[in-house]
Amino acid sequence: MANPKVSIGIDIGGTFTDVVAIDDNGRLHIAKVPSTRSDPSAAVRTVLNKLLPEWKIDPADVVRFAHGTTVATNAVLERKGARLGLLTTDGFTDVIEIGRQNRTQIYDLILKPETPVFLAPGARRRGVVEAIGLAGEVVTPLDQASLAKSVDELVAEGVEAIAICFLFSFVNGAHERQAAEYIKQRHPHLIVSISSEVDSTFREYERTVVTAFDAYVKAGLDRYLASMESDLQSAGIPATLQIMQSRGGVCSARVARQRPIRLFLSGPAAGVVGARESGQSVQQQNLITVDIGGTSSDIALIANGELVIRPEGLLDGFKIRVPMVDVNSIGSGGGSIAWIDAGGGLRVGPQSAGSEPGPACYGHGGADATVTDASVVLGLLNPGYFAGGTMQLDPALARKAVEERVARPLGLTLEQAALGIHRVVNVQMAEGIRLVSISRGIDPRSFTLVAFGGAGALHATALARELDINAIVVPRYPGVLCASGLLSAMIEHEASTAFLHKLDVADPKAVEAVCEKLSAECAGRMREEGVDASRVTTSYCADICYVGQAYHIEVPLDLTDPGTMIQKAYEAFIALHDKIRGHSTRSPARFVNLRVVQRAANRATAPISMSATGARKDASKGTRKILLHGADAYVDAAIYDRDGLAPGQVIRGPAIIEQTDTTTLVEPGWLATVADNEVLLLTREQPA
Amino acid sequence: MNTMQTTVDPITLEVVRNKLDGIANEMQQTLLHSAFSPIVKEGMDCSAALFTADGQTISQATAIPIHLATMIPALAAVIAKYPVEGMAPGDVYILNDPYCGGTHLPDITLFVPVIVDGFPLGFSVATVHHQDVGGMTPGSVPTNATEIYQEGLRIPPLKYIEAGVVNHTLDQILRYNIRMSDMFMGDLNAQLAACTVGARRLAELSKVYGAAQLVDIFTRLLDRSELMTREALRKLPQGTFHYVDWLDNDGVELDKRVRLEVAVTIDDGTIHFDFTGTDPQVRGPFNTVPSGSRAAAYYAVRALTDAQIPTNGGCFRPVTLHLPEGSIVNPVAPAAVNARTATIKRICGAMVSALADAAPKRVPAASAGLSLMMAFGGKRADGTPFILSELVAAGTGASDGSDGVDCLQTDGSNSMNQPVEAMGIDAPLRVTRFGLRADSGGAGRHRGGLGVVREYVFHADDIRFTYRGERHFTQARGSAGGGGGAVSRATIYRKDGRTEEILSKCVTTVSRGDRLVVETAGGAGFGDPKTRERDAVAADVANRKVSAEAAASEYGFSQRGDRA
Repeated sequence: MANPKVSIGIDIGGTFTDVVAIDDNGRLHIAKVPSTRSDPSAAVRTVLNKLLPEWKIDPADVVRFAHGTTVATNAVLERKGARLGLLTTDGFTDVIEIGRQNRTQIYDLILKPETPVFLAPGARRRGVVEAIGLAGEVVTPLDQASLAKSVDELVAEGVEAIAICFLFSFVNGAHERQAAEYIKQRHPHLIVSISSEVDSTFREYERTVVTAFDAYVKAGLDRYLASMESDLQSAGIPATLQIMQSRGGVCSARVARQRPIRLFLSGPAAGVVGARESGQSVQQQNLITVDIGGTSSDIALIANGELVIRPEGLLDGFKIRVPMVDVNSIGSGGGSIAWIDAGGGLRVGPQSAGSEPGPACYGHGGADATVTDASVVLGLLNPGYFAGGTMQLDPALARKAVEERVARPLGLTLEQAALGIHRVVNVQMAEGIRLVSISRGIDPRSFTLVAFGGAGALHATALARELDINAIVVPRYPGVLCASGLLSAMIEHEASTAFLHKLDVADPKAVEAVCEKLSAECAGRMREEGVDASRVTTSYCADICYVGQAYHIEVPLDLTDPGTMIQKAYEAFIALHDKIRGHSTRSPARFVNLRVVQRAANRATAPISMSATGARKDASKGTRKILLHGADAYVDAAIYDRDGLAPGQVIRGPAIIEQTDTTTLVEPGWLATVADNEVLLLTREQPA
Repeated sequence: MNTMQTTVDPITLEVVRNKLDGIANEMQQTLLHSAFSPIVKEGMDCSAALFTADGQTISQATAIPIHLATMIPALAAVIAKYPVEGMAPGDVYILNDPYCGGTHLPDITLFVPVIVDGFPLGFSVATVHHQDVGGMTPGSVPTNATEIYQEGLRIPPLKYIEAGVVNHTLDQILRYNIRMSDMFMGDLNAQLAACTVGARRLAELSKVYGAAQLVDIFTRLLDRSELMTREALRKLPQGTFHYVDWLDNDGVELDKRVRLEVAVTIDDGTIHFDFTGTDPQVRGPFNTVPSGSRAAAYYAVRALTDAQIPTNGGCFRPVTLHLPEGSIVNPVAPAAVNARTATIKRICGAMVSALADAAPKRVPAASAGLSLMMAFGGKRADGTPFILSELVAAGTGASDGSDGVDCLQTDGSNSMNQPVEAMGIDAPLRVTRFGLRADSGGAGRHRGGLGVVREYVFHADDIRFTYRGERHFTQARGSAGGGGGAVSRATIYRKDGRTEEILSKCVTTVSRGDRLVVETAGGAGFGDPKTRERDAVAADVANRKVSAEAAASEYGFSQRGDRA
């Protein structure tokens, strides 16, 4: 009998590389190996050379290999991209340096530049005489002599890559293509990115920045993917290398290297995709995902099973216009430090003890009281079973820190102080979640919380209480959710372009024509990675705003009837505007961009089957005294080992469920039910 | 305020404080998201706050510091006219008149009293800079106004909505006096939505904590921020520090500079700003009512003290001002005030720069401190009207540790520029150049930030053009031996060959084929230019921020790489 086929997901994060392998019988392996910053693919070789043999997986059986990488992101953080030149319309070479002129720290007296000038300082920026008009007409033909001179000068500056961004190229990219062609002919070794291909939408600063970043990371990413493909090949793995994109879909490495910018910040996207799968596996379609780590928490929303995509993200403080899963970071996490301000008030964060020295209870010399220390004082964490027993926590150090740094200065008991730290950090996280939800027109009360990351499940019931949320999902392996998210992501290609026409005068045929062109672009990419057209679903949408408004809303487009297409889009826009922004009027509206997204399902992975994975442990681990908000004294909480819980089992709070990668707190009034796939669903005994 | 004494533990205090900040942020988010006009969306010219029933700020979300605390006198005027006891749920108050507590006419504030079981808990308040409030020019910021009557519609404290019913008379007057009234009503609705959110959540809080305890918490939070601010002020250099700076002119008498003088006295946990020596009020619209001078003072205090102090009304208690009556910082009605931003920005700069010598590590050399306002209005070829306004920044001052930043908003304001591609969509004009202005940053061991050059050509006739510049005549001054920044310039090149230099302010008409070139000022340098690192000068030359000539004359640097 042939071996079962295997799917592998590998997510390389800053500190750890997470690996998930699952075969067609549902047999699951997970692992965490340290990441190597200098050579990120080293972790992948460890998996291939060490873990596969250990897990008795034959490389020839690996039919899927999905990968999330921070290589593009790191190239920016470490300033290790190409030596870049920038070509712009003559008279606009400084747009990338001027930016939008606003500052992020409004009360600082000593100010810092807000734009990514490092990509191409003035000496490596040149203009080209040309002009395109708003309607796409050629106002001034591209001046060949100025192009030749500028390119020569950039080459003389030793550039390895050139980004081209001309004004109004989003309506007519001919001049950009002409310039790119010229460079390819004369200097075939140079990498070139043009703005009308990278991000064909209006606003020149934002388009310049995204195009420059694209060219900056392209060569490095290409080298990285090529070497990984060759590693897979020499290991004998037949699967195509798939890469996670910022929007939460995967694509083949071959297509990914053409649009490297689409890989920025794809790590958090994979986590949200994994959280969605966990939620959907227990029939929850409206989800707020919260990933609580050491220094920060990441919050994202899923409405009706759809990821919320935002048009731009933040990388190293720079806004980059790349559509990405809307993940919002707030500065509260397990390592957040509790301190007393000059007015005698208790504050928590935003300073964090990080991983070094870490919370006081780590025993690495940290003296500050952190949220994790408070968790130890309250009995919520098992000092002997932290991070899967790889780390011994010292409760005495936790107590000392909370006592000295918080309890004594405030005149509180140790327990009151620890509870206080939790109350404050929980309200901060809850307000963060509320703000993210509200600003997207979502009432958190009707949503289900998906808690992951090391500390997510510890704070989940408290957050749900603050937000009047009635249900919480804790994934089976919250610590490697990014890697499992890679396996549940669909193949996705997206194409968009500016379409600046008022709705009342727009020609539905023109809308159709643009959508067809964009579909063909996506279909080409699908073909390139060998996806059969019959598996592909296509969705159309338009970014629409009121005339005069600067921010748009994405509205689905129904192309079936050209006669009603625009009217339907207008009605949908008004309904969404009312939902997201709290009001609407029947004022004139305008298209901003048209967008086509094509998706195709990957080979399905089998549901995890524990009987295939290994013998069940005994679930019950006795009781421990814990202290909770609203209680006067320590109470006995039943302690369970997650690995021993059986599907269908119901646990009534107060209880604590321990596993290698997280601890779940079930507060009184909550029931934890183990689903068939062993996901935990926490519900209130009496809904709020 | 006489509060009932309740027991509040420090944890609950911090929990509620986080919630109050969260509410203000949610209100602000609602404003930014639901407003219509670009000035709110791109300019972030709006803010939201919660107040106690006696008018002290509990929490405020400000995207731009110039709004800090400006709602305080506005709310005071509302309460004075409509005593809190007479207010009812569903009431909404409105105000914009600067002489009744407002700032300038485009800033309209809505106030919603939060009344729980008959108990007045506080106010939920939102301010938006509206695109137009009527008056002599589109955009309602006429540079040549000499009376407030020319600046738009004045709204004293009034009930806009009474127990849920809109005042139809007022509503009609607003609609008939304001250009593009649909956009106006859209922004007003956004304000209403923000106030409603704030009021609802404050009422929810009182259900959890009880109204009496919540009021006690407000008091404690205010006291705590006051205490922290006093502590921080004690750590600043003590004494009296003077600074004098100038505004170009008042837009009416173009050759008359306007003097701003401030004496800052920091003494044992208090700070006092005395404007004795400042010029009398001007005929043009650059007067600022006291709320603006106060906003500048609060900005200066916030920037100079500990950033970790939670901002609320308590922070403002140790701050006092002397604003001579009839001066540009405390004008008498009906003086025009629409262009007060320029004055407030200059005051912010002067207040901070007063400490430049006493605290050189902390206070940088002067920034250009200007936000060039230009407005274009008229008709497109198809006859439809357009209004387009934009704000262009200038260079920031260098500091002891770093160069200034090129073209960045400073002090009181923080607006974005208009993308060149967006301008083409909204108006019949084309921007043909937008770049850094070489040699505009003041020389120094650290160089001042550069201003920008922006050039326009026009594609329609009879476009009404308003220009409101600053720093055309006086430089941002250097620190510790650094040089001043270059002054601003602006010129109209007429189609027929005439050129018109703009003397800092103008209202004129431009037509098809005319060209406009504006150059904003540079920030000042810090330290002796001769001590600037050679590599830094060479990089500036290579990056075309400093010309070879200026490198030689200002820095003693020759292209060969040797100091002359």
